[in-house]
Amino acid sequence: MTALSDLRVIDLSTDVAGPFCAKLFADFGADVIKVEHPQGGDEARGIGPFLGPAEPAESSGLFIYLNTNKRGVTLNLESQQGAFLLRQLINTANVVVESFPPGEMEDMGLGFESLQQASPGIILVSVTPFGQDGPWSEYQATDIVEFAASGLSSVNGLASREPLKIPGFETYYQAGVSAFSGAMTAVCHRDLGGGGEHVDVSILEAAATIFGPQILAAQHSGRSPGRRGPGRPTGLFPCKDGFVSLNVRHEPTWRFMWLFFDEPEMADDPRFATQAARRERNQELEDLLIPRLARYTMEELFHGLAPIRIMVGMTLDVSHISIDPHLQERGLFVESEHPVAGRVGHPGAPFLMGETPWELLHAAPTLGQHNREVFTGMLGHSPRELDRWSAQGII
Amino acid sequence: MPGERDLPLAGLRAVVFTQAWTGAVTTMLLADMGAEVIQIEALERPDPWRGGYAPRLSGTYANNDPGERPYDRNANFNSVNTNKQGITIDLNHQEGKDLFLDLVRISDIVAENFSARVIPNFKLEYPVLRRVNPSVIMLRMPSYGAYGPYAMYMGNGGTTEPMSGISSLLGYDDGPPMNSGVMHTDPVSGMFGYASLLIAMHHRNRTGEGQLIDLSQQETSVHLITRQLMEYNTTGAVPRRQGNRDGLMAPHGNFPCRGRDSWVAIAVRSNSEWRSLCEVMDRPDLASDPRYSTLYGRTEHLNQLEQAVEEWTSGQEADTVMDKLQAVGIPSAPVSNAAQVLENPQLNARGFFDDVIHPLTGTYRHTGTPWRLTHSPRKPRHPAPMLGQHSVQVFRNLLGIPDKEIASLIDRGITGDTPDPEE
Repeated sequence: MTALSDLRVIDLSTDVAGPFCAKLFADFGADVIKVEHPQGGDEARGIGPFLGPAEPAESSGLFIYLNTNKRGVTLNLESQQGAFLLRQLINTANVVVESFPPGEMEDMGLGFESLQQASPGIILVSVTPFGQDGPWSEYQATDIVEFAASGLSSVNGLASREPLKIPGFETYYQAGVSAFSGAMTAVCHRDLGGGGEHVDVSILEAAATIFGPQILAAQHSGRSPGRRGPGRPTGLFPCKDGFVSLNVRHEPTWRFMWLFFDEPEMADDPRFATQAARRERNQELEDLLIPRLARYTMEELFHGLAPIRIMVGMTLDVSHISIDPHLQERGLFVESEHPVAGRVGHPGAPFLMGETPWELLHAAPTLGQHNREVFTGMLGHSPRELDRWSAQGII
Repeated sequence: MPGERDLPLAGLRAVVFTQAWTGAVTTMLLADMGAEVIQIEALERPDPWRGGYAPRLSGTYANNDPGERPYDRNANFNSVNTNKQGITIDLNHQEGKDLFLDLVRISDIVAENFSARVIPNFKLEYPVLRRVNPSVIMLRMPSYGAYGPYAMYMGNGGTTEPMSGISSLLGYDDGPPMNSGVMHTDPVSGMFGYASLLIAMHHRNRTGEGQLIDLSQQETSVHLITRQLMEYNTTGAVPRRQGNRDGLMAPHGNFPCRGRDSWVAIAVRSNSEWRSLCEVMDRPDLASDPRYSTLYGRTEHLNQLEQAVEEWTSGQEADTVMDKLQAVGIPSAPVSNAAQVLENPQLNARGFFDDVIHPLTGTYRHTGTPWRLTHSPRKPRHPAPMLGQHSVQVFRNLLGIPDKEIASLIDRGITGDTPDPEE
């Protein structure tokens, strides 16, 4: 059985953060109905890569990944009929996920108070750049802005150059998992007698929690961590065919490394007798290591050093990741059978659950794919009404 | 009405070996939401984020002073273990193992993020726990998960970043790959760990059944770069490093402002935002230049474009730039360092930071929980436990062990609060 099969979730959210939250519900068994605007739908449909031969809106790889296992309907919420249908849908649901600018749900008559009046146990999840209130609540943001404001950019890159955002949409994913976590906290509370909740997630706050240790350290030491200066500018060492991360300052890894290089006597070099000395003489240490590392490939170093308990990582790029034997054996990658885009590979389970495993039951919906199933089958409207709403641009 | 009901996870108990960052975040969230979290450490090997014992200390200490009990003053440990109880047990000792299993018997959750060989070495795998508590939930979260060819390898954020593909994408367009300056995959994986526990809790509430969860930090991190992976699957080309540039937005970057190491993030999402930016910069010439009127055109001429933005930002305060841009709806914010995040007006207006009084380090402001529940009271934040602080209390009150026996456990080094360094 699936873990969340007793839950229905209405997903009104767009882009990455909210849809990732709703995806976690869908992937662990909830009935997630994604509601999109009939014209164009979720803006993530406009983010590539585009996988199909035609119809880019139906073949966005990112959209297909973010909306696995959801059903999809269209509704123009600006129309009275559209808002009415949405309310009918919400009346059948346990959870609503939305990412409108603060206040917009209230303007549509769908604020938490009114939702609660209709369904007292409802859990409303709002994911916004800065949260539902406060002086920045109307401000605009993207991932790089959240990285900047949360402190996360300040430490990436070189001290001599501009700070860097980490590639991807990390603050959005972090906020998406946070939103799911907050919602599931409320679900578990309700299991044991709790009631409805409004889960208010600020992407900025979700991102800033990542920086918690640095924020406390800055208070203790009176200085904020910065970017890397000369010495060890990237945190990675070049080797024969790429780069590795390597931590060998501690005993006994220091000794093990020299055994690996077949120069055990080097471990007793008085210049590097202590961990502190190794940190202090970092540059000299690098000068020793780099020519030796250059004799080996990433794989030789990884499989040579890791078994002797040295922390070493290969700098894998996406081509390596897609064929990595460890990820293959654990079955990270799955394929969606998408009606327009065809077979689409993407990461599957975020974690492996013994009794209620992650499952890919069906691919992300095409725009309005489940209109008939949901509006006639589930809500009991007639096919003729559907045709009329379709002609009127309501669905 | 806020304050009327219990905390959402009140009544749950977790007995955990979470340490360093990833697992500690998972179990701190449990504690924030009202679960009773009992954190187990060993006197001879406390949580590495306590920074070790003299003379080999590492980390940042309150007032830059390690003090007499440095392991209770380390910023790292104290930042991710609030609201927990701390006890010590020597699991190498059969009596210690029995104490742990006695706690498992009365708990709902066990969580750990050791390297994958540790739990089998202690013979404390899931079937063993299930024998004493059939409905217990166990979360294991080693770097590479609990099985597979790399499972026994050790890792941390410094290896997860490169092993998940993130480092290969991070860097300047003319430079080598980089690790970030913050082991961000740790806390993000920790959040996934919390999510997995709540899925398992809901299943248990419905069926009474516990389960084992195997979370690989490498895998949760790969999810973060799905878009680039799918790009490669589609085109066969490995995406290159491009600093802060973005194929869908231009200009897009951190631009220099007045003052030392002062920068502002700007993201222009559309042609109309580009025209607004030109207006704010008072550059009608750029607005009317057809080379820049489309996203394609702007990405083709990024160097000139970024130079124009830089000329405009570099004479101004980062806050001023943000105010001007947000006024016309363009995403922007200053690049804050750790101290500046504490001053952020939005975070402060929402009461994001909690004031914590730590008995040895004084008062500080703790980073909050990343969601708020409008109907559940917020738990006042108690400081992270000092080494072994709650051992006696837990053994006496939860396990009913007589004081005389506790004294004997302390005498024999099976528990206590006084360090016993390995070497």
